[in-house]
Amino acid sequence: MGSQPVYDVIVVGSGAAGGIACHVLATQGLKVLCLEAGRRIESAKDFHTHTFPYGWTYRGNGKPGEYGKLPQGMEWKIKEWTDHLYTIPDEDPYALAPGAKFTWTRMRVLGGRTNCWGRGCDRFGPLDFKAKSLQDGWGEDWPITYDDVAPYYDKVEQFIGVAGDSEGVYNTPAGQHLLPPFNPRCGEWLIKKGAEKLGIKVRPKPLAVLSRPYHGRPACHYCGGCNWGCEVAARYGSVDSVFPHLEGRPNFTLRTNAAVHTVLMDRETGKARGVTYIDSENKQEYEAYGKAIVLAASMVESIRILFNSRNREYPNGLANSSGTLGRYLMEHVAFNDIQGFFPQLAGRPSTNDDGPGESCLYIPRYNYGHKDTKKYLRGWRFDFYTGCGMGPGPGAELPGFGSAYKKKIKELYPAAFSIGGYGEGLAFDWNYVEIDPDGLRDRLGIPQVRFHTFAEYPHAFAIRDEMYAQMEEIMKAAGAEIFPYKKVAPYPLGSVTHEAGGARMGDDPKTSVLDKWNRCHDVRNIIVADAACFVTHPEKQITHTIMALAWRACDHLAEEFRRGNV
Amino acid sequence: MSGKLIGRRHALKYFGLLSSSAAGIEFLESWLPRSTALAAPLEEMQGVHDSEGNGPEPSPADTESPYVLRFFKPDEFRTVEVLTEMIIPTDDKPGAREAKVANYIDFVVYSAAEFEPSLQTQWIDGLHLLNKLSAEKYGSAFSYLTGPQREELLTEMSTPEHDPQAEHPGYPFYKLLKSMTLEAFFTSKVGLIDFLEYKGLTFLTSFPGCTHPEHQT
Repeated sequence: MGSQPVYDVIVVGSGAAGGIACHVLATQGLKVLCLEAGRRIESAKDFHTHTFPYGWTYRGNGKPGEYGKLPQGMEWKIKEWTDHLYTIPDEDPYALAPGAKFTWTRMRVLGGRTNCWGRGCDRFGPLDFKAKSLQDGWGEDWPITYDDVAPYYDKVEQFIGVAGDSEGVYNTPAGQHLLPPFNPRCGEWLIKKGAEKLGIKVRPKPLAVLSRPYHGRPACHYCGGCNWGCEVAARYGSVDSVFPHLEGRPNFTLRTNAAVHTVLMDRETGKARGVTYIDSENKQEYEAYGKAIVLAASMVESIRILFNSRNREYPNGLANSSGTLGRYLMEHVAFNDIQGFFPQLAGRPSTNDDGPGESCLYIPRYNYGHKDTKKYLRGWRFDFYTGCGMGPGPGAELPGFGSAYKKKIKELYPAAFSIGGYGEGLAFDWNYVEIDPDGLRDRLGIPQVRFHTFAEYPHAFAIRDEMYAQMEEIMKAAGAEIFPYKKVAPYPLGSVTHEAGGARMGDDPKTSVLDKWNRCHDVRNIIVADAACFVTHPEKQITHTIMALAWRACDHLAEEFRRGNV
Repeated sequence: MSGKLIGRRHALKYFGLLSSSAAGIEFLESWLPRSTALAAPLEEMQGVHDSEGNGPEPSPADTESPYVLRFFKPDEFRTVEVLTEMIIPTDDKPGAREAKVANYIDFVVYSAAEFEPSLQTQWIDGLHLLNKLSAEKYGSAFSYLTGPQREELLTEMSTPEHDPQAEHPGYPFYKLLKSMTLEAFFTSKVGLIDFLEYKGLTFLTSFPGCTHPEHQT
């Protein structure tokens, strides 16, 4: 070890969980090393937020075929605005078992996917943490309750800045100190009226977007370019909100281009003592030492590190005495949106509907106590998008060509809507990821993963059918014209970038990887802070819960350091 | 060249400072409509390169004047022009001609050589088929047909679009032509800004949302 420093904590990853981990641990005085596999980026240079399509050589789409075969859910992500941020799948492939599908969205740069995320920040509710004992007896409970996590939802909202209102609905509690919500667009009001005719509540969507200047960051200027990165940090991203405040502190070190390969163990103590990482520029392997390791590399990568760290004591993967590492992978049940237009809005002049780049309203879950539990469990939420956008709108879907077709496009352009949903995804042990047995390695020579994941199971089809039917009813009540659509099979896991599970929390070390503080049961100074820790996958978006759990785990770790327990 | 874009980036930081005070917001609101009413001209698109060396650079189809054909032969190109202008004609509003859609399609099909050469084959085969259908129906190549004859033939080729039971050998080429024309037109300044009058991707100090009571009650 020689003159190498021994950090208090090594944080692996700099995204949603890693950013929060670094903030919590370093601001409490611990000596932190953050290792980020990707390169450093800067919002001023790396986000092309305000570039119009005709500013790009290929109008934003790249050369024909340039991005190779993209799995479901990645086509809209990799564009000329963002192709330097995302990992192109064909350039760094992963393995799939026969018949399996998985959409693995990687953004291997400082800040990870917080650079381009969807910004939705709804909280899980009490029934979500105890779905087995409080809802329907299926699956497993989390080892924690909503009340355990609530103070951390508060801390996250206050740190990152979330706009919304404080009313909440049953099982979707709202923060009490949010920034003001955004003003809905015309189409959103029409959907709200339609849903409310059916007794369905429509609420402001909690968004990690600033409706007022906050903590030195300016308010959103409503350009709508969020998916390409926010040049002014009006939406939360760790690259602008965490690392500039930590770098320069004597107790914080950030090393980018450092892809962690394994966790190093001390055979005598049975504890972790550091990590190995590969410098992606010179391809050499190095070691770093720490008293505790926080894996926050994203669900797949954290699991991958633990598998690649297998040793004599843990032949099936480090900290995997339960055999559940990599298993019970989950994702929202997702499928195509329903689209169409509002006759009431057709033919009017174009409006600037960009707003805060996301919908201002949404429909939280409302089907509590439903009786169809033989067909599907739990529920869904709906999101909808309306108004003038950067494409031709619903009229382009119509048959025909020529002047009448062109006029129809213009007429329907301001009247567009699309509505889609996420259903709760269930956890099965047969949805899993492992290290590829055929020896596939990534560009750095690190053994790559193979997915055994299938999104098509009876609950998924049944909840999808309910959701299509409900969306049609709501849009009809809103007075909309719905375009004919095909029912598609539930999208593969990972398609909506909400993959979770694989190192689940639990009280029983035989059936879980982590305890209720995100510590590995087997190796208590390894914490897994990202979505790998999830036990269930309710209809809510997951990033807020990732950040709250990471904050809670790191608060606890800091307290353990203060007590001399690490 | 890059001066204007850096000016815009400075403007973004300036908004951050100003928008935190009432006086600042008032200033911005009077300044904004004048400066941002129009989308940025093409010259503003060049400039800052990111950490991978990417930077926005418009297509030669949009900057070369005159545009130099790279893929289609002149007679093929003339047919492409005619076809795209049938899909999105110039009427009381600009169309594919003003947006130079055919230039852009030539550039994209040329660029397909590297990763998707089948796209080039689809176009050449499609144009051959078009002329074959035209000869069969009217005894002439497509560019020698009258306007009404062209309309009639393209309409026939499009039949499966509104009749799923129908088939037509020209339908795949019709779909290719239509989809690429739409993409080229609606990503162009003429299509997105002048025709659709897209008002977004700009700077607002506030977002009023819907201002129509009849939508809300």
